Amino acid sequence: MKAAAEAAPAIDGDVRPEGSLKAVGWLAWFSIREMARRRRLVALVLMNLVPVLVVAAIRIWFPGAGITPHMVLSALTHEVFMPFLIPIVAMSVGVPAIGEQVEDGTIVFTWTRPVRRRAIYLGRLLAAQLVSALVLSLSLVLCFLIMASEGPQVLTWEFIRLYLQSFAIIGLGAFAYAALFAAIGTHFRKPVVPAIVFWFGWENLVSNIPARVQELSLRFHLQNLVERPETSPADLPGLLSALLSTAFQREPVPRLQSVSVLLAVTLATTLLGMWLLRNKEISR
Amino acid sequence: MKGAGVDSSQARITADRVGKWFGEVIAVNNCTLAVGTGVVGLLGANGAGKSTLFKMLAGLIEPSHGTVHVFGRRLRQDVGWYRRVGFCPESDALPDWMTGREFLALMLRLMGYDKAETNRRVGFWLERFELTDAAGRRLGGYSKGMRQKIKLAQAMAHDPDVIFLDEPLNGMDPVSRKQSIDLVRELGQQGRTVLVSSHILPEVESMTSEIILIDRGRVLAEGSVAEIRDKIPEHPTTVALVSPSPRVLAGFLIGREHVVGVQVDQENRVVVSTDHAVAFYRALPGWLLGNGLIVDEIVTLDDSLEAVFQYLTER
Repeated sequence: MKAAAEAAPAIDGDVRPEGSLKAVGWLAWFSIREMARRRRLVALVLMNLVPVLVVAAIRIWFPGAGITPHMVLSALTHEVFMPFLIPIVAMSVGVPAIGEQVEDGTIVFTWTRPVRRRAIYLGRLLAAQLVSALVLSLSLVLCFLIMASEGPQVLTWEFIRLYLQSFAIIGLGAFAYAALFAAIGTHFRKPVVPAIVFWFGWENLVSNIPARVQELSLRFHLQNLVERPETSPADLPGLLSALLSTAFQREPVPRLQSVSVLLAVTLATTLLGMWLLRNKEISR
Repeated sequence: MKGAGVDSSQARITADRVGKWFGEVIAVNNCTLAVGTGVVGLLGANGAGKSTLFKMLAGLIEPSHGTVHVFGRRLRQDVGWYRRVGFCPESDALPDWMTGREFLALMLRLMGYDKAETNRRVGFWLERFELTDAAGRRLGGYSKGMRQKIKLAQAMAHDPDVIFLDEPLNGMDPVSRKQSIDLVRELGQQGRTVLVSSHILPEVESMTSEIILIDRGRVLAEGSVAEIRDKIPEHPTTVALVSPSPRVLAGFLIGREHVVGVQVDQENRVVVSTDHAVAFYRALPGWLLGNGLIVDEIVTLDDSLEAVFQYLTER
């Protein structure tokens, strides 16, 4: 082996923490690459192909049945992405983003660098948020391409506006849920159970309680931002939908309020997660 | 100042009445220590509390009471000082999805090195630990010994002045073990502080004679093995003298100052128990010369680290 003295000398006197933005960038970049190599991500991408298959099936088997791309996109965003895909993707990526490293002990390698813990948290969280948003966006892009393949008549301003709106809202939802699940993952030693309880219990239950209680769920605010799917009470699905919306009446709130709530939850849970990580101790 | 038990004003690592509770269990109890430059072994049986103490010293866990400083700073607060600190954890956990090269590169990037310097250091340390051929392989496919080496490499790649090595030789083959021991000694000779935690006494003995002994969460002793050995009066040091006339020598030594027991063993060696080894060694040449006695060889039987450890921990 070579002599240790051959290595360059240490950075004399420089004991400042590494610039937070630079550190966040490096950690986010390496974390995205880590997440991209996980089998879990393949499963999530496959799960996100479900809406694509639905759109493809409608396109192939029900052409000209009066189901417009606008209706399909609105229904998918409202009833598939928001209650299921966004929380599942954000949970699968967000919960282990920081908690897994603390639990398996690999966080010591970043903790013993001149990087503030808040930067470590932000780097990992940003990666989780971007990966969640990308997985969901991929599905939405494929849906759009299939719908657009019907012909130029589909590409109305109204449809494109709804598409871009869905894109932005799904991104917002992915960021909010990922931040919340990352905080849960940082706090609990076995975070999957509380995360599922939150998604399946709290979100499902609270978002369906009439009156203002439902405003306490993220799902309510996400769904509040999207146009409700067009349904016709004449057919069976339309009738069921009408009955359900009457039973679980959703009083809309101003969109700005919903955006503010989602941003506030993202910020608050990010700060909470940073605080939790700052006080975290390594057990292994 | 070199070694363990140095004046705290000169020490690089200090712990002042530090303790750690995990619920009802006390892992470290009122430990005070000061470590200067050179290699110092933190010794203790499994469960003695050395890993907890180690993690507190490295700023990974907060003491329940007392204070810990490295370069007079609290690392948990002054994270910038990690530029001068290296840490090799005991845990085998590594980001298995990364290649060895990527792992070292990330660790150096987070230290603030630019691309060229990062690449230079990565190349140097991969070569140093003979991992160049495996640099492009994922860490998940590394053997235990290779994993240990890459952990050591990341702890040393930024040339820190204080290096914490927690059970650093675990899983290494004999050749790598020897090379790593030589490297640790070399780092100590360069004036760096290397604190090595281990429960394998010969491992520590091969790196240093400066130790901190910990048992049941308490620091039992710190300093050189010889100094500590002399401070254990209830266990006199045993010295074997090889002589052509063992019985004459044994008869002469009976009743001499600091000699508390003399016997001739089965190998015809004179085995002397002394309550003050240093004084005995000082007096012995004069006694031999003055009385025409001959001693061919002197063997100290129980001033080894193992003996000191056994006496202090009563194991």
